[in-house]
Amino acid sequence: MGKREIPSSVKRGYLDALLFNIGAIIIGLLISAMMILFLKQSPITVFSTALGRIFSDKYTLGEVLVKATPLVFTSLAFAFTYKANLFNIGAQGQFYAGCISAVSISLALGGKVPTALLIVIVLVASFLSGALVGALIGIAKAKFGANEFLVSMMSTYVVQAVMDFLLRTVLRETKAEYIQTDPIVREAFLPGIVPGTRIHLGTLIAILSAIAIWVLLYKTSLGFRIRAVGRNSDASEHSGINSKLIFVVAFLISGGLAGMAGLTEINGVQHMLLQNFNSSIGSFGIGIAILANGHPIGIIFSSILFGFLNVIGTTMGRIPGLNIPASIIDLIQGIVMTSVIISYFIRESVGRRREKRMLKSGEVEA
Amino acid sequence: MISILTRAVMMSTPLLLGSIAEVFAERTGMMVTAIEGIFLMGAWGGFIGTFISGSIVVGLLTAVLMGFLMALLYAFITVYLRQQQIVVGTAMNILAGGICAYFQRVLFGIPTTPLQISVLEKIPIPILSDIPVLGEIFFEQNILTYIAYLVIPVSYIILFKTSLGLAIRSVGENPEAADVSGINVNRIRFSTVLVAGAFGGLAGSFYTVGYLGMFTTGIIGGRGWIAFAICFLGNWNPKGAVFGTLVFGLAEAISIYLQSTGGIAIMPNEFVIALPYILTIALTIAKRSFNVPAKLGVPYLKES
Repeated sequence: MGKREIPSSVKRGYLDALLFNIGAIIIGLLISAMMILFLKQSPITVFSTALGRIFSDKYTLGEVLVKATPLVFTSLAFAFTYKANLFNIGAQGQFYAGCISAVSISLALGGKVPTALLIVIVLVASFLSGALVGALIGIAKAKFGANEFLVSMMSTYVVQAVMDFLLRTVLRETKAEYIQTDPIVREAFLPGIVPGTRIHLGTLIAILSAIAIWVLLYKTSLGFRIRAVGRNSDASEHSGINSKLIFVVAFLISGGLAGMAGLTEINGVQHMLLQNFNSSIGSFGIGIAILANGHPIGIIFSSILFGFLNVIGTTMGRIPGLNIPASIIDLIQGIVMTSVIISYFIRESVGRRREKRMLKSGEVEA
Repeated sequence: MISILTRAVMMSTPLLLGSIAEVFAERTGMMVTAIEGIFLMGAWGGFIGTFISGSIVVGLLTAVLMGFLMALLYAFITVYLRQQQIVVGTAMNILAGGICAYFQRVLFGIPTTPLQISVLEKIPIPILSDIPVLGEIFFEQNILTYIAYLVIPVSYIILFKTSLGLAIRSVGENPEAADVSGINVNRIRFSTVLVAGAFGGLAGSFYTVGYLGMFTTGIIGGRGWIAFAICFLGNWNPKGAVFGTLVFGLAEAISIYLQSTGGIAIMPNEFVIALPYILTIALTIAKRSFNVPAKLGVPYLKES
């Protein structure tokens, strides 16, 4: 599974990345807008009405950050193992593991212990549950040489089955009417931080986590070792890095990050757990991580972009009389991702041509 | 018991078509990580083709076309634009989900009753279906299953006994050498993925046209990934794929049987549903010596 490093100077690389990404996103949005023609509606009217609604309404604008929050965690999860050249496709399952812990603890202790203490307990527990699932995948990889891509992918379905089983049995609501849990008590909610919106403390935790992961990856020796294994696992083994241990640690942290989305979504947004909860944040996390080229700070911004696309789609669906299906969200996100991936190729070609030109002019001078 | 086995063979059909398609693509060095999306497009294509035209044949052709188109986009970006295959596959799978959900609404609005199509009929094969036990299990199936029977020997012969098969395998093992010997590496990879996509689309159509008679966006539910896994577990060999699909088909048949007969009393339904996935994990961990194509997942860039 080959990995590419962006050539040419780092500074120019960042600027190029930014310009190309923005260009690709705009082109992706334009193509998506064309899709509205199939519903015999004017893309311009639909987009401008939706944008007008988002920016004129504080609550809706806040939803962008609310939707972005769990995506920060699932994309950090993918990016973290990606730096070690490993593929964790199972963030959805690790998120569910975090949800199970978050909801169980909040139901059991909510109102019985102070809110701050409860949030800390849930934070740690949701991290640990995701980390447990992640570490098991890492062990399968390190100890048995199992293909982590397959194992992590399949793990989601297994965790989901466990979650469905618990929802149908011990965690089932007292009314036993729907397959979902009772709502958690108000004392277990993550406090809101911007009045008039649903933005909650979890958003802040997500941003801090992204910064912490950046520090961990680029400023600590563990991060150095993880990236060294990612670049060349054999060479780093020779230089004394235990790459098998790195596999397990990388998966453990990755799974823990995805698990933390359980805290933000259960205690911050939904306040209960139900079947098929947030069922696509795992795969969107991968898309976002790619958009940001795996960079933790970039992930914050691309998560906000995806949150924004999500809110645009929902808002379009709610414009009365236009009848735009909410499924347009998936379509827009798919098209934008494809467009961004194609832009990578163009960026690489431009970079390569520029390098060649520089080499040639260098020869002439010499 | 016989009915479970009959159903096992039936549920193996799409997995077999999908995993053999994947075997061919991966032998050239291309993982078709868009397989889940290709299955979904096939299922949807089969449904809309049949529903709109009233003819199952048109439905199956639409399914093949949809799988082909999805593979076309995937192959173009991965082969000629040399982008990371897992990354592109993720984008394609999201895109496929969006296309199906959105255009289902564009075409049909919000129907008041679920849209239904009639499913493929079982065609008992004369004489063979009269064989006790085996006849019912293997020869009272629908046309897709019979196509799958044909695909097994044909794929094996193409891959191991023809010059085309040699070209396919050498492109995955040593593209530089293949290139020197006059094989166009990227063209082989590109066209193999397209053919794999067409078969993947046909495989996906099984779930709508061959089995359920209706379409939902969750209809594939990871079965494309199971076909993907079977290709790994079957050592990139059609023979291994046959064995793998039968195991998974059996797991699925048992799961359907237990769900329909209230097997929940014996063990939780959810466990039965998770069985194929647990099986994949267990087999992936237990199996050591992989016969991995040397250049799997690596784009080929001709030195110029």
